[in-house]
Amino acid sequence: MSAPVEAMAPASLSERLGDRINPLVVKEIRQGLRTRVFWVCFGLMLLACVLLSLMAYADVKDGGYRARGQVYFFTYFVCLGLVHFFVIPYSAYRSLAREREDETWVLLALTGLGPRRILRGKMTSFLAQAGLYASAVGPFLLFSYYLNGIDLPTILTVLALGAAWLVFLTVLGVCAATLADGRLGRAFVHFLVLGMLAAGVAQGLGAAFALSEGGSRLMRDTDFLYAVGISLWLMLSYGWLLFESAAARLSLITEDYSRGPRRAIVIQVLVSAVIVAALWWIKGEEREIATVAGVAGCLHLTVSGLFIISDVDGQARALRAKTRGWSLLRPGAVRGFRLTVLLIAGWSFLCAMLGWNSDDKELQWRSMLYVTIAAAAYPILYFAVAILVGKMPRSDRFSSPAMVRILFVSLAGLGALLPPLLSLLVDEPADNGLINLLNPIVGLVNFGTHEYSLSQPKMTVELLGFLCVVAALAAFAADRTLLERERRAHSS
Amino acid sequence: MSLLQVKGLRRDFGALRAVDDVTFELDAGTILGFIGPNGAGKSTTMRIIATLDTPTSGEVLLDGQSLVDSPDKARPLIGYMPDRYGTYDDVTVWEFLDFFARAYGLKGEARKKRVASVMEFTGLVPLKDKLTSALSKGMRQRVALGRTLLHDPKLLILDEPADGLDPRARIELRELLRALADQGKAVLISSHILTELAEICDTCAIIEQGRLLATGKVADLLAQSQTGTGTELTVRLAVAPGAEGDAAYERTEKVLLEQPRVGQVVREPGAIRVRLELEPGATRSQVDEAAARLLAALVGAGVPVCAFSHRELNLEDAFMTVTKGRVA
Repeated sequence: MSAPVEAMAPASLSERLGDRINPLVVKEIRQGLRTRVFWVCFGLMLLACVLLSLMAYADVKDGGYRARGQVYFFTYFVCLGLVHFFVIPYSAYRSLAREREDETWVLLALTGLGPRRILRGKMTSFLAQAGLYASAVGPFLLFSYYLNGIDLPTILTVLALGAAWLVFLTVLGVCAATLADGRLGRAFVHFLVLGMLAAGVAQGLGAAFALSEGGSRLMRDTDFLYAVGISLWLMLSYGWLLFESAAARLSLITEDYSRGPRRAIVIQVLVSAVIVAALWWIKGEEREIATVAGVAGCLHLTVSGLFIISDVDGQARALRAKTRGWSLLRPGAVRGFRLTVLLIAGWSFLCAMLGWNSDDKELQWRSMLYVTIAAAAYPILYFAVAILVGKMPRSDRFSSPAMVRILFVSLAGLGALLPPLLSLLVDEPADNGLINLLNPIVGLVNFGTHEYSLSQPKMTVELLGFLCVVAALAAFAADRTLLERERRAHSS
Repeated sequence: MSLLQVKGLRRDFGALRAVDDVTFELDAGTILGFIGPNGAGKSTTMRIIATLDTPTSGEVLLDGQSLVDSPDKARPLIGYMPDRYGTYDDVTVWEFLDFFARAYGLKGEARKKRVASVMEFTGLVPLKDKLTSALSKGMRQRVALGRTLLHDPKLLILDEPADGLDPRARIELRELLRALADQGKAVLISSHILTELAEICDTCAIIEQGRLLATGKVADLLAQSQTGTGTELTVRLAVAPGAEGDAAYERTEKVLLEQPRVGQVVREPGAIRVRLELEPGATRSQVDEAAARLLAALVGAGVPVCAFSHRELNLEDAFMTVTKGRVA
């Protein structure tokens, strides 16, 4: 039994091809095709399409011209959408959640497949099942073209966007399956996923309805094409980020778990920067584009960065040898914090530069510039303070990743609530600029406010400078704290 | 050199020290039983050896190679079976093993032969087309063991493999593990069923509160437990039941209590249990000598002794002697 595997006769072509397929795909498809869910959904979907086709035939059989294509295309798409936007992502979620509940995940991790390959296998198998469903509905969707009223480009656009939405929701389901470990957490995530997918179905079908109704009119609208492009980019980049985050959560501690998600977010920021710069240039160097992108980008980086800065201290011994000072993609809170600060500051700098170089001479141009910079200073400040509170003491009580996140939310919440109350206590307006200088909400709004009566921004450049200096000092202190904790973790 | 060397292993979870300075070795072809109460640090130690976790400090060498520094290189040498068997629903036994064989990178004909040989070894051939969800617990456990063997590992780590198995399945598992050890594999096994471990294992390691309290051959651990301050003897008398018999047992109790080194004397139906109080660290021969003196005293006092024996101690006694029931 223990004899090693000897050299065998050459395998046939089909076997060699089979060997190249991800093992998860083979297993999941075998499992999937045995489930009742698959056959029930497949049967019901086919039956519904056949009945709809009979109705369509009855509708048009008198031979007169009637533009019924849009209606029937959408009803066929509903049949497919319910499965694609709900059943497939939910099945993918359950499949991975069950792997974690039954602890079969550990066995897979030890085979050497790696979390990324395992997740790719899961995704591919469920998308293959989605392909099987689509193959059943495909002929009916094409049939709707012959019912008049809808053109082929519209059909293809809806199907392409639907496919992208399916992939995104499936990634979302797979990522959600990695979120919780405890029983209570899993139950919460389960309901969250059901809610998200219900919203996903509504959004997907709503968009499909709007597109099939708008048809060729929408296709000629340039803004619509921009919107489609941005939607696709958001689905792609967020899908990738979610996928990498899921892989990181499933990685063993001895693996370089942080490289994937950090690389994804860096590339997302770089590509988004190019897109924003291109849009700004194409749209006649509008200052609003730079400001909106600056604030929205910093908000996105705040949410994503919260998970990066709250990494554990230090890293497994197996990883330390290859880690250099500039290895910001490797595990550890100190490198996560530095990367997040760099990304936020870099994004804000880019958008501020675009705003500075905008041609339009609006009155509030300084406020728009200030808010772009302040949008970066606040998250850096509150990240740093959360780290200092959680990790500066030698005790480990508040230093866990979850605690740092809770601290950040709590401190930002307190920072947003207390200054307005203090302002009211001292008989000042609730949005007093000086008292709310460190308020991440009111302060940001103040920096973006232009006093038209005085023809100047509400906040001065000195106050902005003060905020930036405070954020920079706090970031420096947080960096030293994280470095010290990493040194301690590695020396034990 | 031992196949597995664990040196000064420590694992902290925040303020909790789950594993504290654990050191032991395991040779190829031997079975080591890892014993400890719940929360003692067994599973944490096993997870570190299986490369699923990393120690706070210490070293684990497998075949001379550090699995803390190079877990990727060590994994192909390790077969790990967690306390939950981890089988999938809606797949047959053959499909399950074939899937894991693919995952381990076995290809084509080699994969088929390997799966077939593992199925034959574990006795799963008649069940190859059955869904794993339809199998008994014992059979599912065999499937899990088969999965562990697919890549022909040198070290097997089995966490509570006998848990929940019926007696027949346990005996079959014991035979399988013995066969694997005979093939030269090192087996690290944890279990709560200590009598089972005593029969399966060559060596045992007792862990409590994260610390390794005793390690060595099962026979040595038992001998250690039989020495020291707590050796038990059983005395039976050749008397008829009833008033006359009771009187004889009472007289024997008095005689026993008059003897030196006799601690506790407990009357049981048809027998008396005697606890000898010896110096800490007394050897087996000293225990035997004290027992012989006691027997001579009883016979000299005219006690009708028909049976006089050491109670045969088992691994449970060794475990109870060494541990104190604390958890980390």
